[in-house]
Parts: sequence; structure tokens; C-alpha cells
Amino acid sequence: MVESVREKEIIENITKNFKVDVGIQRERRIWVKSPSEDLIDLCMFVKNKLGFKHLSALSVTDWPKKGEYELTYHIWSYDDKILITIKTMVDRENPEIETVSKIWGESSQIHEREMHELFGVKFKGNPDLSPLFLEDWDGPAPFRKDFDWREYVRNEYYSKDNDRESAYFGRD
Amino acid sequence: MSEESPQKKVMKRLIKAIWVFNWFNSCGFCELVPLVGSRWDMERFGIIVVGNPRHADVLFIAGYQTLKSIKRAQRIYEQMSEPKVVIALGSCTMTGGMYWDSYNTIKRLEDYLPVTMYIPGCPPRPEAVFEAVGKIFKHVEEMK
Repeated sequence: MVESVREKEIIENITKNFKVDVGIQRERRIWVKSPSEDLIDLCMFVKNKLGFKHLSALSVTDWPKKGEYELTYHIWSYDDKILITIKTMVDRENPEIETVSKIWGESSQIHEREMHELFGVKFKGNPDLSPLFLEDWDGPAPFRKDFDWREYVRNEYYSKDNDRESAYFGRD
Repeated sequence: MSEESPQKKVMKRLIKAIWVFNWFNSCGFCELVPLVGSRWDMERFGIIVVGNPRHADVLFIAGYQTLKSIKRAQRIYEQMSEPKVVIALGSCTMTGGMYWDSYNTIKRLEDYLPVTMYIPGCPPRPEAVFEAVGKIFKHVEEMK
């Protein structure tokens, strides 16, 4: 594997200051596994000290068996052209984490708003977590793996007595 | 010659040409776009797309409607002046279509808007759209 000097420097910098799990996935791709308490400090560090100025994506992965959500922050550095991926786990039943919108501003605010809508993750300190698409939604967070949306739709929208809609019942 | 009611006189004067307002989600506009082109060319028959619901006689509604977008469609419908007609284009609009098991699309359009005509198909044939528009004229003709 080709590892440039800069990537090693970044990893050394991070491990010097934080107790985290790091690795180089391939050239110009670094991943970091961090406990959720250290996330804000780590994000501040990579932005201010290492020049990762652009949060390009924030995603959530649901692990129902582990009972955890995995939050993944993809952060890009324009100077080094390196993508760093910060992963952290939060509790699935009560998902709460500090917002990064103070660090990356508006772009992270809208990402967090979407993840709040789809997974129900509460980002503490985010100024606006109102739904983007699911107005008046009162069901469970729709992207959770244990949400059976077909069953939900049958109960919410369809009637067995309706000629057209009875076809939707009893098949999967 | 039979007497024409004042309503019919007004309607005949109004419905010379169909002015439509489009409310299209997702692939919705692609379903009507063959009519705009030169092959079917809806303007030959006086069907013109207007930019403001207040000018429109007909609301064309196409594509799957989400819980959020249907509210906007209702507001557009309320802005249209009487007499007004709602035509639903395509299967997604009517029943959810391939999104029948999506938690976020509406499944019965008639619960939300007073639909005058459904044009099924994915996409509907342009001829079917013309037939639906022709039925509006026929409806006026048959008025007493």
C-alpha cells in the first residue's frame, strides 16, 4: 500500500492527542474510531489544526443487534486532498450527541437535520431540527431497520374492505 | 333550438381553450412532455400551460404525491377560480403506483382533492390525455 508522508503525519497527530482507533484504508483515505464524548474535541482538532475544512457527508448506520447507531462523518481537506472518516457509536434507544454545526456551520446543520428526521438522532445544540419532508409525521423514525414500513402502510393507509386495496394484504 | 342556461352560456365562453396548471412531482413532467413537443403539440387544441393557478381551468397533477407536496397541491387548487377541473395523470398519482408501500406517499388522491378524471398509465398515452381534455368540452356541450 502506498502511504504518503502526510497521512502518517495526520495519524501521528491524532493519536498523540486522542485515545482513538485509527487506520489508513487506502491512499488518501483515513478512518478514525472515536468514543462519542471525544467527538467534538476531535472534530475541532481536525478542522483547526489539520485543515479538514469541509464536512462532505454525515451518515448514520443502524446496528439493531448491537443496539447502537454508528455515526459517520466524512471530512475533506482541500489542502492535502485527503478524506478522513470519523466514526462514533451512540445508543440506539436514546441517540443523543453534541452537534458539529458550531464547527462546520450550515452544511452540517442540514445534514444533522436530515439524520434527525430519518433516524431520530438528537443533535444537542443544533438550532433547527424540524422535519424536512415528513411533516406531521408521528410514526417511528422511518430508517430504523426494525421499522416495518409495509406493515405500517397497511395499517395507516389501506382498507381490507376496499376492492382495489385488498390486493395489498397478505403478500410480502 | 333548445334554451341554453346562463351557466352553459358562460361555460361555453370560458371553455374555448383549456389552460392548465401543472403540479408535477418526480417524473411527472416527463409524462406530459410528449404533448408539448411537435408530434402531438397540445397548443393546436388550445391547451396552454400557464404559470399561475389563478389563470388555470385545469389542474394537472402527476407523479407520486408525498404528504408534504399534497398540501401544496391543495393550496394551488384553492387558488384556482371556478369552474375548475382536476385531472390526475399516471398510476403513482392515483394509487401510489410502485410506491404503494412507501410510508410517505399518499395512496388515495380522492381523499385530498376532488378529482374530476383519472388518466391511468405509466406514463399515460398522449392520446389519453387528449381524450380526457376532450371530455371536458363534451361535458360543457352536454350541460343544460
